[in-house]
Order: sequence, then C-alpha cells, then structure tokens
Amino acid sequence: MKLREVFTNGIFKENPVFKLVIGMCPTIAVTTAAINGIGMGLATTFVLICSNLVISLLKDFIPEKIRIPSYIVIIATFVTMVGMIMEAYLPELYDNLGIFIPLIVVNCIILARAETFASKNPPIPSMVDGLGIGLGFTLSLTILGSIREILGSGTWFNMQVMSDSYEPALIMILPAGAFITLGILTGLINRFTTKVD
Amino acid sequence: MSETWTLGLKLLIITAVAGFILGFTNYLTEQPIIEQRIQADMEARLAVLPSAEEFEEMQIEDIADEKAEIIELYTGTDAANKIVGYTFKVLTKGFGGDMEVIVGISSDGQVDGIRIGNHSETPGLGANASDEKFTEQFVGKSVDGPIEVRKTGSLNENEVQALTGATITSECVSDAVNLAIDYYNETLIGRGMDN
Amino acid sequence: MNQLIVSSSPHINSDETIAKIMRDVVIALIPAGVAGVYFFGARALLIIVVSVVSAILTEWAMQKLYKKPVTVDDWSAVITGILVAYNMPPTVPLWLPVIGSVIAIAIIKQAFGGLGQNFMNPALGARAILLACWPVHMTTWVAPGPDAVSTATPLEILKSGNIQNGLPTLWEAFIGNIGGCIGETSALALIIGAVYLLYRGVINWRIPISYLGTVALFTWIFGKNGFFTGNGIYNLFVGGLILGAFYMATDYATSPVTPKGQLIMGFGCGIITSIIRIYGGYPGGVTYAILIMNIVTPLIDRYTMPSIYGEVEENV
Repeated sequence: MKLREVFTNGIFKENPVFKLVIGMCPTIAVTTAAINGIGMGLATTFVLICSNLVISLLKDFIPEKIRIPSYIVIIATFVTMVGMIMEAYLPELYDNLGIFIPLIVVNCIILARAETFASKNPPIPSMVDGLGIGLGFTLSLTILGSIREILGSGTWFNMQVMSDSYEPALIMILPAGAFITLGILTGLINRFTTKVD
Repeated sequence: MSETWTLGLKLLIITAVAGFILGFTNYLTEQPIIEQRIQADMEARLAVLPSAEEFEEMQIEDIADEKAEIIELYTGTDAANKIVGYTFKVLTKGFGGDMEVIVGISSDGQVDGIRIGNHSETPGLGANASDEKFTEQFVGKSVDGPIEVRKTGSLNENEVQALTGATITSECVSDAVNLAIDYYNETLIGRGMDN
Repeated sequence: MNQLIVSSSPHINSDETIAKIMRDVVIALIPAGVAGVYFFGARALLIIVVSVVSAILTEWAMQKLYKKPVTVDDWSAVITGILVAYNMPPTVPLWLPVIGSVIAIAIIKQAFGGLGQNFMNPALGARAILLACWPVHMTTWVAPGPDAVSTATPLEILKSGNIQNGLPTLWEAFIGNIGGCIGETSALALIIGAVYLLYRGVINWRIPISYLGTVALFTWIFGKNGFFTGNGIYNLFVGGLILGAFYMATDYATSPVTPKGQLIMGFGCGIITSIIRIYGGYPGGVTYAILIMNIVTPLIDRYTMPSIYGEVEENV
C-alpha cells in the first residue's frame, strides 16, 4: 500500500467510528460539543501516532508472548503523558475531557492498530496509519459533536448559530441523543457508500 | 527457564523505560499543575467573596448535617489583615449525584456570592444552576434565617426562584447555602469583630 | 391468471381489516378529544389537528421515500397523530406536536419497517423523546377553563405530599376537571370509548384490567403514610393511566399475543407505573412503564407460547 492509501484508508474506508464501529465509549461520552470532539480526537491521534511508532520500532524486540502487556504499557505511558501535559497547559480542555483521558488506554482503536498494523509494518507507514485513523476518529467525533451541539445547545464551537427563538432539544446533549445521532448517521453514511449488489 | 527470563527481562526493560519517561514528564508538569489548581481555587473563592485579598484555610468543627457537608473553609482577609468574611466549599447531594457549592459569607452577615463547582446535574435543567441568573439571587441574602426555594409566585425577602424544571437541584443548592449560614451563625459569627 | 393458491391453515375468512379496526379506535378516541377541547378550549383542538396532519404527511413522505405502497388510508397514522396530541399539555407551542408526530412516524414506526413492525408504541416513544428534549414545555400544566391559570397535576400534588393544598376531588378527577395532558384529563370520556372498543372486540379486557388492578392495589398498599393508606382508586383516574391502559398498552404490534402474556404485560405495566409514582423522580410513570413492557413483549410471547398440539415435552 502506498502511504497516501494508508492515510486515506483510516479516514474513509476504515473510519473507526462509522465503518469499524470501535472506540464507542469516548464517541458516546464526549461528543456533547464540537470542541470536545476535536479535543478528544486529537488527543487520541497523538497517542495513536506515538504508540504506533514505538511499537513498530520495537516489533522485533517485543516477543510474541508478551506483546499485549507491552503494548498496554506503551499506550498507557503516552496517555498518562497527554493527561499531565493537558492538565498543566490546557486546563480548560482538561476540565471537559479530564475524566475521559485515562479511557484512551482502553480505547480499542489504539490496541487494534498496534496489533493489526504497527506490529507488522515499518515505522513510517505505522505513523501515517496512526495519523489517518486518528484524523478519521477526530473527524467523526467532530461531526457528531457539531450535530449534537447545534441541536442540543444552539451553538457551534460555543458560538451562537441558531436564532434566539430556537429551543434546544435537550436529548441531543444527553447520552440518548448520542445513540440516536450515531445510529442515523451510520445508517445514512452506509446507505450512500456501500454498493448494494 | 531461559525463555521465561528473557520475557521477564524484556518486560522489565519496557516498564522501566516507561516509568522513567513518566517520572520525567511528571517532574516537568508538577509545578504548573499545582499552580493551576491553586489558581482555580483562588478564583472560585474570590468570586464569592470579592472584598478579600488573601485566604487562609481554617479547621472545620462539627460538620454534621443530613443534606450537606462542609469540606473546606477559608477565612478571607483584606489588605489591612482584617477578616472580611468566609468561604465554604459545601458538598451536597444533587439530583444527579454529588454537587459542590462554594458559598461566601461576609462578616456583616450576608451571603456575598455562591458558585457551583463540580456537579453531574442534567444539562439544560439542573445544570442551569451554574448560570448567573440563578446564583445571583443568593447575593445579599441575610444570614438571619434560612433561604427558601419557591417555584411560582412573588418572592419574599429570604426566597429564591427555583430553576424551571429542576426544583430538586434548586433545593440542594439552597440546602448547601443554609448549611454554610448555620455554621456561620453557630461558630463564626462575631469573630471578625475581635480583630 | 387463475392459479389455485393453497395456504396453510387456518382458513378462516374474516372481514376484519386493518382499516376497520383502526377506524374503531379513532371513534373510541373521539369522546376524550371532545372532553379535552371542552376543558382546555380551542387550542387543544388545534394541537390535535396539527398533530394528525403532520402524522399523515410524514407517513406519506416516508413511504414514498422507501418506495413502498402508500397506506395513509388505513387510519393508523391518524391514531398515532391523535395519541401524540393527547399526550401533550394544552399549552405546548404548535411546533411540538409536529416534531412529535415526525419522530413517532418517521423514526419509531417507518424506520423499523412500518405498521406492525415497530418495537414500541410510536406515540409513547415520541412522548418520551419530547419529554427529554423540552421538559419545560411538556410539564407546564394549566387548570381547565378559559384563563389558562398554571397549576400542578393531581399526581404532582400527591408526590409533593401537600394534599390539603388543592387536590381535586375524586369526582373532578373522574370527569376530567383537572390539569393534565389533552387526552388524559377525562377518565369518563376515555372509559366510554374503551367500552366501545371492548364491545367491538378490538381489544380484550386482559391488559387494561390487570394493569389498572395492579396499580390500584399497589398504590393502596404502599401509601405515603404507611401500609394500606394509599388511595388506590384515586390513582386510577389521574395521570395518563386510563389512556395508557386501554389505548396504548393494548397496541397489537407491541403487546403479547397469548392470553397469559397479556396478563403479564398488564401486571408488569402496573408494577412499573406504581413504583415510579410512589418512589420515582417523576410524578407519573405510565409512559415509561408501557415502553419498558413493549420492549420485553417478544420475551413474554416466547415464554408463554402454548406448546403445539402433539408436541412431546423434552426430558420427561
């Protein structure tokens, strides 16, 4: 696969949210606003690129039998670093995402890419894969977050976009709204991207 | 046996390197994190007791109440080191779970301001308790009597208007403020005058 | 093409059609609507009309979109529209019944396959979503009469425990002179319609009676002031209980088909309604009770299905 294909693969063909349907925990939990979607997506992307790179570099060093604990240690290290750095320098974002950051460790997207891609490919493609999947994840969370924020709060990135007479539909920023939006979006996207025989 | 040793050794190396990197990150970020927290707490206290310049933590005696619990208490002093009031951090049970209310009571016996800290109230309903429109109502309330929540109709001196659709949350906030008022009346009243 | 078609038994030829049954339900719902308009004024009528029209248009649009035969003439969309409106306070802004009907028909009914395929009652599902979206609009009540004075519903008064303060009498609750949703206000009108449905054989007694009996029993036993102090009879005539028990819990697609299963359905609805009314955060629980029992309906059917004649029990 060419690098460009590796990159676009993560955004479209293997979009983690709408196509692979993995990493649903953060998808449902944090997408109450567009900015949270971007924040969570970029934090995950950072962890994904770093862990993919390191795991790819160490793939000959890590024995088959202990690969899962090794991956988890590597992933957890990067996640903890992201958490600390975010709390120190981006406190506002940390207030919103803080409790979800540790969850990146168990986000199956990261372990899945380590297992299926990084452990079998050279460092550069692995990083590109991490970037593609990460941006695909970020894009999906931002779309979900935007829809939920616009309908549920009347704002987009905290700017008022709906007229004052619009009354926000509260369910959209409650967990039930996440399931409804995700279901309808996944249905629509697959309706227009899957070829029916 | 030798394979077990290799595996163990390799895992040890990985975890040791990870530990070292984390330690280093912690060393870099520890100070900024502590400063962030101190500043956030300071801002919250200043917001509910604007006349104070400095705050000093106090021991809390006798905190029993069914509905709420005081978890932090600070004395606020002005530039001349005179006590101008107290700030309380009260933990109460909201509709969705624990809720922090920060209450400022000034030495002249009125509520100076309140702020809602961490909470898990319903967005759009109970979460509106953080809005200024709701919290402002408590400003200037006297500590002579407990504050009551009213759903409809005109408000008396010691009453606040409940949040629409979130009476339980409104009552939890007023419970928290009332606990601070009780504590002020029983333990703290008159202390400022001694200075 | 003169082909002989032999289908498997039963071969009973009935002139019961979907449209006939549905039309009976619409007729049965009319008295309650008249009572709602009588107590809450012309605005109640406007809400019902807006809701029914949007339900029909949504049904038509969805069936066109899915390229299915258009069946708006089978009255089922009309019923859903009426029930959406009946489950709203008379003060809601007019866009609310529109959204309610669109949710009920487009998402809950058609997206799951249309008539008979929905897994929960469309009108109640829509009400639950509206309640979560705009709780203030959905719980702002007015007293009957031209002045539209804001009031609390009897259930809210019961919940607050402050019953000396303006709890309507049993008679007022029975005829419907109380605050509440448009269609649930008059127990009398709802019962008139229900008797018609029972007489026509559209519904049977099992679900409604076991539902009502359970609620009366439980709200009596677990009263506010200790055991056997609750007013079970009063609880029957307030809130959406009568409307729910006769017109929504009995929905064919979302209630069990076996007699034993129907009793379980009514009993389950009754227990959940009572628990929410007595201990829950909301004053009324009919909506959630029926929705929860809708979801377990396939399970009830599976465990109460009688064995086929001649079937041998295993492990004898």
